[in-house]
Amino acid sequence: MSLAIQLDGVTKRYRAGRSRTVVDLIGSNIDRMRGRAQDVHSPTRGRVDATIWALRDVSFEVPEGAGVGVIGRNGAGKTTLLKLISRVTWPTNGHVRVAGRVVSLIELGAGFHPELTGRENVYLGGGLFGLTRREIDRQFDRIVEFADVARLIDTPMKRYSSGLYARLGFSVAIHANPDIVLVDEVLAVGDAAFRRRALESLRQLMTDGKTVLFISHDMWNVRRLCDQVLWMEEGRLKDYGAAGEIAERYMSEVNVQALANQGTALQSHRGGTGEIRYTGVEIVDTAGRTAVLFAPGDTLVVRASYRADRPVARPVFQVAVIDVDTGLVITTATSRPGDAPERVDASGTIECRFPRMPLRPRQYILRLGITDSHQLASYDVVSAGPRFAVSGHGAGVEGLADEEDGLVSLPFEFAHHTGDVRVVHQA
Amino acid sequence: MNLTKREVKGRYSQSFFGVAWAIAQPLATMAVFTLVFSRLAKMDSNGAPYPLFAFAALVPWFFFMNSVSSGTLSLITYRNIVTKTYFPREIIPLAQVCSRFIDFFAAAALYVLLMTAYGVGVGVWSLMAPVFFLLLILFTVGLTFATSAMNVFYRDVNPVVQIALQLWLYLTPVAYPLAVVPAKFRLFFVMNPLSAIVEGFRSAVVFNRAPDWQLTAVAAAIIAAVFVSSSVMFKRMDKYFADVI
Repeated sequence: MSLAIQLDGVTKRYRAGRSRTVVDLIGSNIDRMRGRAQDVHSPTRGRVDATIWALRDVSFEVPEGAGVGVIGRNGAGKTTLLKLISRVTWPTNGHVRVAGRVVSLIELGAGFHPELTGRENVYLGGGLFGLTRREIDRQFDRIVEFADVARLIDTPMKRYSSGLYARLGFSVAIHANPDIVLVDEVLAVGDAAFRRRALESLRQLMTDGKTVLFISHDMWNVRRLCDQVLWMEEGRLKDYGAAGEIAERYMSEVNVQALANQGTALQSHRGGTGEIRYTGVEIVDTAGRTAVLFAPGDTLVVRASYRADRPVARPVFQVAVIDVDTGLVITTATSRPGDAPERVDASGTIECRFPRMPLRPRQYILRLGITDSHQLASYDVVSAGPRFAVSGHGAGVEGLADEEDGLVSLPFEFAHHTGDVRVVHQA
Repeated sequence: MNLTKREVKGRYSQSFFGVAWAIAQPLATMAVFTLVFSRLAKMDSNGAPYPLFAFAALVPWFFFMNSVSSGTLSLITYRNIVTKTYFPREIIPLAQVCSRFIDFFAAAALYVLLMTAYGVGVGVWSLMAPVFFLLLILFTVGLTFATSAMNVFYRDVNPVVQIALQLWLYLTPVAYPLAVVPAKFRLFFVMNPLSAIVEGFRSAVVFNRAPDWQLTAVAAAIIAAVFVSSSVMFKRMDKYFADVI
């Protein structure tokens, strides 16, 4: 199979600091004459190193028709990579070879003019992607249909919503007959239906033998669309290989780093009347070790210590699990007899156990509370407790397929019967 | 081409008179020049009606001035396109110049009306006008390539250009004929290609006579040099636009 993209020892260096003025130019020329390194002046730090290495010695090859995800933290060099491949900018060292027409979706609708109508902008944008007038004529209906803007096509684009703007931009780009499509986190705009259609169309392009490079922080989309993943870290290529495995390792690393830094102290400003308060909360695994990272299906234990300043009868302890992105997953409470002591008047520890936790790989945060027996008056509220993350595939959990979506993983089975089916609900 | 359209539409949309504004600028300047230079300073216009004499020079002058003025900023204005998509970037300043064609032709049409009003006929030498228009385009494009590319790196370029354009008008025989320039300054005026262009337009459409061939040849040589060197420079600097813009 022939190669679509080939990078060979590519290095990209930027100058840091404010943009150069003539005064700086004279200054740096004097420096050069004196044989000094080219630094910029920083008012706070004196002279600082003026160069930023956006990419260092990056080499990789992408075969035709591949879908490659590009992942990494902010500033890892992902966008620089796309800019080099799309020839927006040039490498300081090394070679970039690209076979075919590249369409980059670094920003959707970048070439559109707000005063022009949607129709005129389709021609303008298509022209910027290198299409001739005749080619655009041929594709016009498909472009409009895909973006679903037929109603507004003769309206100036300044009246468009940002989602609509992006949709038309995306539509023009993928209809520009590209050989290589570069996508930079642009699917974040637009509604869910459009995102799905956009992903679907990118997948279709790949089926047609086009190459897709896809920057995203959404590992879910990356795994759905791409077979291979490039993992960038501080301008270097950290890893390049099978999407599932690398995306998983990346998520684990990101989560561990994010969670390792969380303080153990509970927040000082808290709700509640304070007769009884939590003094510490930790998340532990089955072996009783403090843990932040779990696999789906693992058992998670929340261990919270408390202290009562005066006797409290039948307190209710609450533990809630909140998905950082989407919200409440579950609330639990010591509402059954025997869950919690009838009366507390000193220190103690309460444990909440989630066996075979069926959570999807995401980040979660705990919310804890102590209330009276009717769960009406609050003694204590810890709105932001410790965090934990679920990542990767849980070993031993059956029915946990990669294609599952949603908040939780429920075990499920399908059954199939031939012939007529009795329909209970009938219109 | 599409970018030109975008520029023109952007400029004249939501304005009541639209393209009519394109001719307001040379027309108003002509009126002031007529008052100041013809009535007050009794400037010699070689026997032609002064308004016609001035207008024939102001139309190419404003084409040049407006193109260079907005062209210098064009790469910055279209920063979005420069940093987000790849295509031949010469198109951006080029579109600025092309978008002034409409102003030029609107004003040229008005000039024809003025000619009829003053009873000046069209002669055979008016066929030279397209030649001078071509020289004007080449010079304007060449200069715009240079100033727009340099302005990406040093924003100081733009104010310098804007001031230079203000002064350039008076150092070009627009309000007065080249003939009144004293011999010791003449070389300076000859080195200014706009002198030949402005005088060329005049000889073609005001006086209906042959242009000053020697003056025109010098200007053509300078224009060719400017155009080639700034095109090369633009291509060289092109690689770094996205990094520094």
